[in-house]
Amino acid sequence: MSVPAVDGWFRLAPCGLIATADDSTILEANDTFLAWSGYDRAGLLGRPLVALLDPGSRLFFETRHRQVLHLRGAVHEVALTIRRADGAELPVLLNAVRDSDGVVRFAIFNATDRVRYERDLLAARRAAEQSEQRVRVLQEVSTMFGVSATDAELAQSFADVARDAFSARETAVLLTRDDGQLQLTGGSNPLEGKVAPVRELRQTAEVTVVHDDDTEYSELSAAMRDEGIGSLSVTPLIADGERLGVLVCFFAGHAEVDDHFLDLQQALGRQASQTLVRVRLQRRLALLALHDQLTGVANRQLLQVSLDDALTLAATSLEPLAVLFLDVDDFKGINDAFGHAAGDSVLVELASRLRGGVRAGDIVGRMGGDEFVALCPGADPSAAETIAQRILEVCREPIAVADGVVTASVSVGISLFQPGSDPQPTAQHLLVRADVAMYDAKRAGKDRAQLSTP
Amino acid sequence: MTAAAEDRSLKGAVDVLRRNNVTVSGNPSGPVVMFAHGFGCSQETWNLVAPRFEADHCVVVFDHVGSGRSDWSMYDRGKYSALDGYARDVEEILATLEAEDVVFVGHSVSAMIGVLAADLNPGRYRGLVLVSPSPRYINDDGYVGGFEPADIDALLDSLDANYLGWSRQTAPMIMGTPERPMLEERLTDGFCSVDPEIARHFARVTFTSDNRRDLESVRVPTLVLQCREDAIAPMDVGRYVHAAIPGSRFEILETTGHVPILSAPDDVALHLRRFLS
Repeated sequence: MSVPAVDGWFRLAPCGLIATADDSTILEANDTFLAWSGYDRAGLLGRPLVALLDPGSRLFFETRHRQVLHLRGAVHEVALTIRRADGAELPVLLNAVRDSDGVVRFAIFNATDRVRYERDLLAARRAAEQSEQRVRVLQEVSTMFGVSATDAELAQSFADVARDAFSARETAVLLTRDDGQLQLTGGSNPLEGKVAPVRELRQTAEVTVVHDDDTEYSELSAAMRDEGIGSLSVTPLIADGERLGVLVCFFAGHAEVDDHFLDLQQALGRQASQTLVRVRLQRRLALLALHDQLTGVANRQLLQVSLDDALTLAATSLEPLAVLFLDVDDFKGINDAFGHAAGDSVLVELASRLRGGVRAGDIVGRMGGDEFVALCPGADPSAAETIAQRILEVCREPIAVADGVVTASVSVGISLFQPGSDPQPTAQHLLVRADVAMYDAKRAGKDRAQLSTP
Repeated sequence: MTAAAEDRSLKGAVDVLRRNNVTVSGNPSGPVVMFAHGFGCSQETWNLVAPRFEADHCVVVFDHVGSGRSDWSMYDRGKYSALDGYARDVEEILATLEAEDVVFVGHSVSAMIGVLAADLNPGRYRGLVLVSPSPRYINDDGYVGGFEPADIDALLDSLDANYLGWSRQTAPMIMGTPERPMLEERLTDGFCSVDPEIARHFARVTFTSDNRRDLESVRVPTLVLQCREDAIAPMDVGRYVHAAIPGSRFEILETTGHVPILSAPDDVALHLRRFLS
């Protein structure tokens, strides 16, 4: 058997072979390539190779592979699409080497079947990635929030997750205040103060996208152009029919609004709303657990914690601390004369007056029954005396109940911790001393205050 | 650049310089020329041009975030979803280097990044050189950019076809070092290396950009360099840029294609030197 002629190897090679000059002009092509591409020799030689590529391949080849060819001298396994003479697409894989004269030699393989398979693979992978992203994003806005999370922390976290998920330049979470107005609570709003709020958008019930060239909201679009925002999306945060606020995403370019985008915005809005409701509820429950249900002031547990904190603070800041122990005079008599319901409303009213009688920053709590305690950080003996006198005064005012008017009074015992002169007491010790002083006040005739003697 | 500035940049602002893999060479006290690469490559694409200016200029080259040896972890899709994100980086680099009277030379998409950067801080620039620029690749009413929206989708398909095996998920598995995915996705070569996800995003941002309105606000002396038969930024687009920038100069290079900085470095260097002096 004779060895095939070299010329035949070139012409009839099992791949397309072409050579181009540095400017991409085709210098030579083998028969295989002519057959695949459908061009005749005369029509092909002298044409630029890029003219044979479809626009997408041309963009990619000219912007990337041309540079790599120059710098590295070769490219491998480049996937491109050639336009055949009859206009049909021919997907190919090619290798190319560039010699020192700038001549580039290409080996080209028909990749029609492979490309079809890869496209299916890619479509499947994209779908999987999108659903994976959806799950991840929804998890991020619903987990990791404990009771202690504030609205601001939640809003910031929603803003961060949305910014990441949608590749937004900035995101803002605006929450509805008690007066019904929206307030920026998390993220940032580049249009703040640049354009008047658009009512319809703030109250939208659906995900709404505005582009900078839309005419519907012309002032908003103009402001977007000034700030370099191509698109923005507004997603309502609604739970159980209650409008909690909106999530706004600001995009540097024009946002690609497809089903995946809208679906993810919607799901994110829903999940964020539910999270907000849940954490607010937990917060409310936690608050209830530490407050007296009848009067709303601190309960015994919260008083205990607060007293410990106040003692530590007094010791470190060297500021005095006063503890006032209050007991309603003849509370049993009030109950007997007016009934327990009236007794309860007297307690509620006295608790409210106590809160009004102490200074801002002081803590009022109910120990149980008709006993209350006030913690007054920073109060020296004379300040404590002043506070006690004010309390006595406000409590003497008549109280209207269902069946008439009650006149009540309280007895107050005061204990003090003055760092520097006093040894450090325990919380229990301070409370007991105040309690003892309170009984002294009772014995001395009620409706008065008594300072504890150490 | 002063020695003090150099010293400061070493101490206080390493982040920006490292983020963008900034290289400063040549004559530190000479006038500053900054070279910016386009889509698809890295600072190495200036290898045949930039070194020629080292004798009498302070030469600054860098990689855009997500390209070359930049810090890819700094790739923020929100920030880089429009070209102004890249323009802010240019301003930060020059501010860090305390560079004044800069001549910015941008190839391809970096030409427009230069236009945007000069708009952020016009006083910093002595001149702009726009090599193969296009303010908009997609045709519009009364404007021929050369491409239709479907062509840009085809480009993204083309990217997908080329990087199929190198998605974020599969690369670490293939390379066998899942704990260092960013490193492995760069593959081996460093320059012109790509992360497929970033390349896809950068391509979309680049080829769907429309910065035509930014041209008229350019107040810096500008030179436009245009190739013959550029399939990406055709002659008419170059003329459009020239006409839109007040007082700009327009030069046609004796080469074809989109990358004259590699195919005709002598010619590019000649025009650049003339512009610099």
